[in-house]
Amino acid sequence: MTDQATHVLLIEDNPGDADLVRLRLVEGKTPVHVDCFNRLAEGLASLGQSSPSLILLDLNLPDSHGSETFRKVLDQAPDVPIVILSGQEDEALALKAVHQGVQDYLVKGDITSKHLERAMRYAVERQGLLRSLEISRKQQLEFKNRFLSHVSHELRTPLTCIHQYVSLLYDGLSGPVTPEQHDHLSTILKSVNQLHAMIRDLLEATRAETGKIRIEQRCVALGDLLQQAVVMMQAAAQQKNVGLEIAFDRRLPLVYADPDRVLEVLLNLIDNAIKFTPSEGSVVVKACLVEADPESVYISVTDTGPGISAEAVPLIFERLYQNPEQIDGNRNGLGLGLYIAQQLVTLHGGRIWVTSQPGDGSTFSFTLPFYSLAKLLLPVITEQQRLRNSFVLVRVALTSPTQPARGNWRGVCQQALQILRRCVYIDKDLVLPPMGASATEENLFVVASTDMEHVNIMLNRIRGQLESSVESLPAEAAQVTAVPLKLPPAAESDSLEQQVQRVADCVTETILRDLGCKQDFPPKVNDKNADGE
Amino acid sequence: MNRAKIMIVDDDPELRLALKLRLRANHYDTVSACDGYSAIALAQKERPNLILLDLGLPAGDGYVVLKRLQDSDALSDIPVIVLTARDPQANEDRTLQAGAAAFFQKPADNHELLEVIQATLRNQAAASSLPS
Repeated sequence: MTDQATHVLLIEDNPGDADLVRLRLVEGKTPVHVDCFNRLAEGLASLGQSSPSLILLDLNLPDSHGSETFRKVLDQAPDVPIVILSGQEDEALALKAVHQGVQDYLVKGDITSKHLERAMRYAVERQGLLRSLEISRKQQLEFKNRFLSHVSHELRTPLTCIHQYVSLLYDGLSGPVTPEQHDHLSTILKSVNQLHAMIRDLLEATRAETGKIRIEQRCVALGDLLQQAVVMMQAAAQQKNVGLEIAFDRRLPLVYADPDRVLEVLLNLIDNAIKFTPSEGSVVVKACLVEADPESVYISVTDTGPGISAEAVPLIFERLYQNPEQIDGNRNGLGLGLYIAQQLVTLHGGRIWVTSQPGDGSTFSFTLPFYSLAKLLLPVITEQQRLRNSFVLVRVALTSPTQPARGNWRGVCQQALQILRRCVYIDKDLVLPPMGASATEENLFVVASTDMEHVNIMLNRIRGQLESSVESLPAEAAQVTAVPLKLPPAAESDSLEQQVQRVADCVTETILRDLGCKQDFPPKVNDKNADGE
Repeated sequence: MNRAKIMIVDDDPELRLALKLRLRANHYDTVSACDGYSAIALAQKERPNLILLDLGLPAGDGYVVLKRLQDSDALSDIPVIVLTARDPQANEDRTLQAGAAAFFQKPADNHELLEVIQATLRNQAAASSLPS
């Protein structure tokens, strides 16, 4: 019986040290196959082609030093055990490495073949255990997710029946009801709605845990969302005799966010605020810019409730946390709302926190990133710190085949967007976030890093897929066109960011011209790097 | 003007009855089917103006019904509103792409549902009066 040789990737720049390690490996009992590279970049590149059983890693290489070295390897090959071979003893660095996921830290001068062989064997075993723990953790989460999804479906069915029959009674459709009966029925309906919200939160929280919440970020006018949220919550506020106001700067930049999800967060925070505010109190929703953070909008919901004790502040976003000092003795819910809000904000790349003075109300705040076309473009229109050569703006103009749009217009637009994403090269083309379909029209755009000669292949691919996949869209209802982006000449002193910004501005202008619109189209207003006034 | 006819497709008899009462109170005529197979047969016979469709059905689930309706020249114009207890994240886009006009998760708000039914019927009427 022959053991398969252990495949070791050795990244070491000193030829003497490399030979020494090879020698130690050969002396060991297990057959070993060694690939040696003297630069980190080459070692990382080799990981793309083969996956070794173990990586022996020197930290100080010509192209990388210290902890940066193992971090890069961990990023690229999180599942391969890493043993560091260092020139010197450094307890602090060794601990740091192990905390971040490295399996062992050996000092080159001290290595014997037996010692090395043993360290390698245990490193492989430990890594294997970690992997199986991680797999079983994921399986358990997945099971929990499926279980809750099943339970929530089964709970909804009888709940729907209760809801339907109670509302038939409540609306007097089964005969007249006395005012007292009407009150009782209203209590039942309220409880049904609470139960419904709990089922929804339960599923949503599990999804957050398993990383399955989807958000579809686009360019959003935040002011409209704030207003919508306040309008939706006005009745609840009035019922409790709590004032609900809104205050924001009209010139707020657009944000890059999923409007449905942001609305969910806002409704949750406002609902909480109203719940905790006594009669005659007030709730204020604000949005503003903060000088210290030039890339985010700050949104806050302030109440005049009892505030949150200092001990509770760090716990409040935890799952299942419930405030023991709830004032109106009302039912609490599951304690998942703020947890879900936090997950949603984090998915957007924002932060959420609370400040509170007991006895003096609380303020929940969160941030959302600006919509910056330049930021979205940067990774696709640059290559190795340089701007690519030429760019083309592709436009897909969709018009509903019927006026007004019939059936599922929104679904058609969504499907077209997915097709576009499939038809581009994701490392050099960018499908711009949709600007929101109107009742009968939608314009989708792609910034492609190519020239007019080559763009036709993409256009044909898009046309073909739209025709074959979107049945309800006749060919004349989808116009696919392309225009080259004419960039103003670059100054030599321009930074890469400035060059990208120039492309972003050019995209914006071209789109505006193309759509023939005079309104303030998003990107221009918020791109903080925009030149001039 | 004739009252619009809505076909309710759901395997839960109590819920079918509740929906029927609700829709009749709002001046719609209703017919009901309890599974995918009879839904298609009834749609052919009754030619409803709109279909309220559950997804979890015996004898051909909601997706099968959607597909059959879309494939039939006579029935593909009937707008379908999906009303299901299933998860919107997994089903909303899918049903819309399969040709549904709207998606509601149970329990749905009656006012919203009735508004969408009304709007869908209005759109349908406007579209069919256009010269084709």
